[in-house]
Amino acid sequence: MTDAFSLYAARPSGLHRLNPLTTLALVGFCLVAGLALPGPWGPYAVFLLVLLLAAWGQVLPDLLRDALKIALPFAVSVFLIQGLFWTGGTPVVGLGPLSLKREGLLFAAQSTGHILAVVGSFLLLSLTTRPDALMRTLDQRGLPKALTYVVLATIQIAPRFQAKANTILDAQRSRGLETEGGVRQRVRALLPLVVPLILGSLIDIEERAMSLEARGFSRTGEKTSLLVLPDSAAQRIARWLLLVGMVAVVAAALTLGSR
Amino acid sequence: MTSTPDLAAVSLQRLTYTYPATDRPALDDITLDIPAGQFCAVVGRNGAGKSTLCYTVAGFVPHFYHGALAGGLRVAGVDVPAASLAALAGRVGLVFANPFNQITGARFTVREEVAFGLENLGVPRPEMSARIDEVLALAGLTGLADRSPYALSGGQQQRLAIASVIVMRPQVLVLDEPTSQLDPVGTREVFEALHRLARSGGAAAETTVVLAEHKLEWIAVYADRVIVLDRGRIVRDGPPAEVLADPALADYGLTPTRYTAAARLAAGRGLVFVDRPLPVTLEQAITYFEDKRLSENPLGPVSDRAPGSVGDRPEQFLDRF
Amino acid sequence: MFKRNFTTLTLALIPVAIAINIAIGQLIVLLKLPIYLDSIGTVLVGLLAGPLAGLVAGGLTNLIWGLSGLNPTYTPFFYVAAVIGLLAGVFGALRWAKKIWLWLIGGLLTGVVAAILSAPTSAIVFGGVTGAGTDLLVAALRASGAGIMQATFGQGIVSDPIDKLVSFLIVWLIVLALPVRLKARFPQADKLPGETTVADSWDA
Repeated sequence: MTDAFSLYAARPSGLHRLNPLTTLALVGFCLVAGLALPGPWGPYAVFLLVLLLAAWGQVLPDLLRDALKIALPFAVSVFLIQGLFWTGGTPVVGLGPLSLKREGLLFAAQSTGHILAVVGSFLLLSLTTRPDALMRTLDQRGLPKALTYVVLATIQIAPRFQAKANTILDAQRSRGLETEGGVRQRVRALLPLVVPLILGSLIDIEERAMSLEARGFSRTGEKTSLLVLPDSAAQRIARWLLLVGMVAVVAAALTLGSR
Repeated sequence: MTSTPDLAAVSLQRLTYTYPATDRPALDDITLDIPAGQFCAVVGRNGAGKSTLCYTVAGFVPHFYHGALAGGLRVAGVDVPAASLAALAGRVGLVFANPFNQITGARFTVREEVAFGLENLGVPRPEMSARIDEVLALAGLTGLADRSPYALSGGQQQRLAIASVIVMRPQVLVLDEPTSQLDPVGTREVFEALHRLARSGGAAAETTVVLAEHKLEWIAVYADRVIVLDRGRIVRDGPPAEVLADPALADYGLTPTRYTAAARLAAGRGLVFVDRPLPVTLEQAITYFEDKRLSENPLGPVSDRAPGSVGDRPEQFLDRF
Repeated sequence: MFKRNFTTLTLALIPVAIAINIAIGQLIVLLKLPIYLDSIGTVLVGLLAGPLAGLVAGGLTNLIWGLSGLNPTYTPFFYVAAVIGLLAGVFGALRWAKKIWLWLIGGLLTGVVAAILSAPTSAIVFGGVTGAGTDLLVAALRASGAGIMQATFGQGIVSDPIDKLVSFLIVWLIVLALPVRLKARFPQADKLPGETTVADSWDA
């Protein structure tokens, strides 16, 4: 799986054994609840739920590390900017000519909660669900097969393309272009290297398309699948319950918000 | 789309084709019949029309490339200009030079990659598994079935590309320079796998093969027939022993095999006086040199000298005698 | 509807275009350049294959980039990327790419629309910050009394049009350099910069 653009970590957990649709419903619920529950502490409750699920999936350290790495720069920015420059707020701590405002800090806390809940939910899905299993479950249930192709091909082509781009970057670095010169010079030095890479990959798509055609990609009529994913009545019920839960959370948030 | 039980698996009748936005035809008045089961190699310099002929037989000319097509074209019993590309899928297979571009990208294991075409054809699951196992074994990929297609070497990826097409049991398999990006080991593996797959690919009948290739030594071993293309026209057509030993080969930008070159060199130096065609394979070369009149060989019979491997260059090969 | 609207060539183009978005986008981040350039592939798809294909390429870029776990903060902006692809496709369909200056105006307009569209998500989901250098601008605007939404939009309206202008220019140059034979095969072939003769006569 290291060959695909994916964080998937194979673990012998119950969460990993779930049908991908069930995991998707679970993550969808966390996402909706994380954004809909009233702040500032609602999103943190959802993030806690995500952490519990991650523990079940045996990916807690991975998720926590990645989530913090992504959320931290945001958190610092949002606390400083919204805390210091909140207009007309109640000062709580004075910092020379500036002061941290109570309303700004609460807003920043809520924003950080949102980021943690959103990022955590996505990471939970990425870490515990094979992208091909997820997409193919969806296409067996009516998602266009062409869309499945586009998504899965992207996550396998992107890392290879990135590797090529990194080779260019290394070449640039060894020539000192990263430090030398102004922005415009650096962009101008980069373009002659990046453009041929793009052109070459565009010329290749002709063969890619022909290969797909030769393998019956455009053929209409019934198609079969080698991959069979386990599902159960219990999981089907769970998915419906999660869907109802999502609606309930949104409804509750709207009622609370309007009061 | 009409099907008739004609003998020729591939039939081009006075076919002329011009790509869009070009003036000169890429294929110029080609008439060609390839009987079912034949292994037909297509050679010629770059730009001679080899790839276009491959695309034509596989139905991509005119369906993918558009442009202007005149003449008749029937492949695997299908009137190609009247059929759709999707209708040809499964009947005609196409393999390219670049293995990377032929991996769909939509499957994460070698096994599933091979299954891609069968899934599109709607082959039932149990049959799919059996066919995949058989083809993977013939392609020498059984041990790699659960690996990512991208984790394979170039030669392995090319064998995967051939296996992925053969598993659909096409009546005609078209390959456009399938070894041009491979090293000698990869080339050998691909040719050996191709031979196994085309001759026992699980299909009831033997697969008709149309192969555009630069490596004449491999063609000499495996092809039943060689066609030389030049400027979009067929200029030579016959068995490899005849076509590949033809001195006119150089006029079409082709270099004869080292065996032919060695024999020609020997004849030129007055070392050989055999009245028979020049050899094109190692086997033929050995017979050729064994056959020469011993009395006129100042070095004595060939069998007296130590057996060794045949050198890579004609001069080295000649040193054995 | 998906397959009926897209040719196989377009479907083969989209993953490569998304890979271009991601690879160049990450490269720019690593080089610490004050620009994004993460929609070159999206604009390319819009121009070559039309508005709908551009929309799909843009939307999927952010969804995949985020859901793969590598850059989850991009996912909520997927609709912005989709509109960028849509607009590039519309401008392409209007033949704006036939004239470089018209095409670059299209780039600037796309940038303005992107700034407007991304501000609400940026403000609501991310508290108006990006965690990057441009946050200084947000801080300055907030300090001068601007609301969260205005400050976020202010940041976007400064950086987005320039970014899209450069992206549109690069795409224009790339399409100009594409072989005519390949260009001729895309849905918007007759609307691309440079020569695109399409002879599609039949005399079979």
